[in-house]
Amino acid sequence: MLRIEKIKEENKDILRLIGEVDASNSVLLDQSIQEVVQQGASFLLIDGKELGYISSAGLGVFMSYLDDFSERGIRFAIFGLNDQVGEVFKILGLDRLISIVPDKSTAIASQHES
Amino acid sequence: MIKTTSLPLGRISLLLAILVWLALVLVDLIRIFGMINNLDSGISEEVTWILEILFFFFVYLVYRHVFWKTRQADFLTLIWRGVSTGLFAAGAGLLTELIYLAFGESKLGTDPFLNNIFYHINFAWTSAFLISTALLWKHLILYQKNTQVVKQWKVFELSMLGALFFVFFNHNNFDYSFLFGLVILLVISILLAVNLKWIPYLNFKEKWKTLLFLFLILLSSGILFYRVLSYGNEAKLQINLTDNLFIMALFGFVFAYGLFSFLVTLFNLPTSSVFEQKLTEAINFQKLSQSIQPEENEEQVLDILLDSCMSASYSDCAWIELNPKEQIQIKNPLRLVDQATQTTLASLIPQENQSWIPGAATEQTQTVRLNHPSYKSALLVPLLVNKFILARIVLIKEVKEGFNKEMMNIIGTFARQACISVENHRLLSQAIANERYQEELKIAQRVQKALLPLKLDHPDSFQICAYSNTADEVGGDYYDTYQVDANHFVIIMGDVSGKGTSAAFHMAQMKGVFQSLIQLGLQPAEFMKKANAALSKCLERNHFITASIFEIDTLTQSFRHARAGHIPTLWYRAQEKTAAYISIEGLGLGIVRNQTYQNHVHEKTFDYQQGDLLVLLTDGILEGRNEQGELFGYDRLKKLVEEHHHLSPPALQQVLIDSLHQFVGGDGMIDDDYSLLVVKFTQPD
Repeated sequence: MLRIEKIKEENKDILRLIGEVDASNSVLLDQSIQEVVQQGASFLLIDGKELGYISSAGLGVFMSYLDDFSERGIRFAIFGLNDQVGEVFKILGLDRLISIVPDKSTAIASQHES
Repeated sequence: MIKTTSLPLGRISLLLAILVWLALVLVDLIRIFGMINNLDSGISEEVTWILEILFFFFVYLVYRHVFWKTRQADFLTLIWRGVSTGLFAAGAGLLTELIYLAFGESKLGTDPFLNNIFYHINFAWTSAFLISTALLWKHLILYQKNTQVVKQWKVFELSMLGALFFVFFNHNNFDYSFLFGLVILLVISILLAVNLKWIPYLNFKEKWKTLLFLFLILLSSGILFYRVLSYGNEAKLQINLTDNLFIMALFGFVFAYGLFSFLVTLFNLPTSSVFEQKLTEAINFQKLSQSIQPEENEEQVLDILLDSCMSASYSDCAWIELNPKEQIQIKNPLRLVDQATQTTLASLIPQENQSWIPGAATEQTQTVRLNHPSYKSALLVPLLVNKFILARIVLIKEVKEGFNKEMMNIIGTFARQACISVENHRLLSQAIANERYQEELKIAQRVQKALLPLKLDHPDSFQICAYSNTADEVGGDYYDTYQVDANHFVIIMGDVSGKGTSAAFHMAQMKGVFQSLIQLGLQPAEFMKKANAALSKCLERNHFITASIFEIDTLTQSFRHARAGHIPTLWYRAQEKTAAYISIEGLGLGIVRNQTYQNHVHEKTFDYQQGDLLVLLTDGILEGRNEQGELFGYDRLKKLVEEHHHLSPPALQQVLIDSLHQFVGGDGMIDDDYSLLVVKFTQPD
């Protein structure tokens, strides 16, 4: 089960993922990101505080947008992942490509750095 | 029944009947001669009776044989036979009367011998008519027989047998015992006469014919009875064969059943169309309920349904509308109506009743009043298949409120049956298609199994075994081995993101890439770079592959290792008696599809010891969940390996798999492909 809440904060689009992302619902995640990108977002944040599990199909969705994000100059960060889910990103090596931070404020702060 | 087909039983009986009759005539003439001349002929009347009984018996045999031969004939043919015998017998009687009228009071007219011969002829024909008609009635009574009717008939037959011999007891006197016997037999006859189940099966025309035939039978039996009575009253006869309980009871039976049949057929005439209608409906229903044969199609079912509904409701015109979303086409959707009138009529039906959206109003059979000069009422019959309105039948009548409850019921039943037929047909087609896919998948499964190596290359210095299981028919896990030279062995394990068929295709690509690149003698990190470049060209954008590669040097007892996003390998070190996951940075293949990938992959060399274990795995194992939703996880696996490190690779592998299944339990799930490869370094090279 996956529920995605969209929150818009100033220049930031936040997608809050609630539940689990697997092969059956990764399309939902894909659609949500697609929409946000097409609406011309400049800073996309994924709120993973309530993300219990992510399968390789879910990781594939993030991965497929990495080029898109850099081409369009979209800042992208994931925050609040629990240890288990964070580990999945780390093992695959995605933590090197995506900014994965503990909380929202760190994510926003890192934006100002760059 | 007697099965001696070689004997012409009918003919023998006929011959015997004629011989007995001739004997009877002879005996009676001798007796009359004796009576007239007051001489004792020496022949007692019992001889006449015995011959008479024998005659009845043989006539019975003749007709029973005839009926046996023609038992499959239809009712009208059978009744006609009775009619013809009756008419012949009555005709013979009337002819005799005419002859005597012509003789007048002449010598011939009063001659007792001639008179007796005529009497015997008439007697023979009357008996033949009565016995054959009684057998005909038997056939009709026992049409649709049940135990009770058969029992009644047996009682009647036995009573008639008694009546046959009654003459010996009663000596042909018309007394109370005769009357008593007659009344009993008549009561039984009347009881039997209510068995008229054959009549409803006649159609309207046949009923008219039957009425005529029955009338002729009644007429014949009336004439014959009248003649028998008048004979009985004539004093000139000293020998009476017909004042016999058997004959009288037969008259009663033949007449009673004939009369009942006549009246019931007459009163059935007005309702016979209803019965015929019901029969047609039953046949239509049967047509609809037969599952659609492979060579038939849904259109034919709808066609039959439309006709059946029309005939069941006596509609003046009708048509069938198909849901625009349906693929099927009907050649002739209109019945007794032209396109223009149909359009007009359709526009008179309220829009909400014609919607294709399933709902309370559209799913029910409903009547609609029409404001049209010639057509006044309509019935809408939706055909629901799987909660989807497949089509709608519209029946139109010229009269107001022309559809009664009965019609709506039967039409509803027709519609449901047709829908079941259509649904079954579709399910069957689906099942066949599914079967084919299953077959294809089985082939895919077999081909994919062949992609995994049957034999793993290894020297005596280490043991190795592997296991792979897929969540669906095919999966995306991969492992392989390669012997570079006497001391160098490569082991790889890979996992394509996702599962199922797409993963399986990518797995096949991975095997191709691995087998090609490994020939080049690349170092692990270099291998990953090249593999990333190759796979980046093959994988869909949101797919990636993780892999672990080990190059084992048995001479130096070391292995070089690179990891591309794969689950870290568990390394049990015998010296330290602990296991740990080998941590090394590395990005999955196909994630970064350019030269920068080389920044993301690293390799390291490790020295191993005798008794060390390597456990390569895919995430399916770690992500197995129990009923509480807990993951099998890294720690559980690590502890198991530490605990069972002394086992051989196959035994350890079995322990791990069993533990995983035990952990997951019956209701838990492993919803991913999972693979395991165990290496144990046993002895120095």
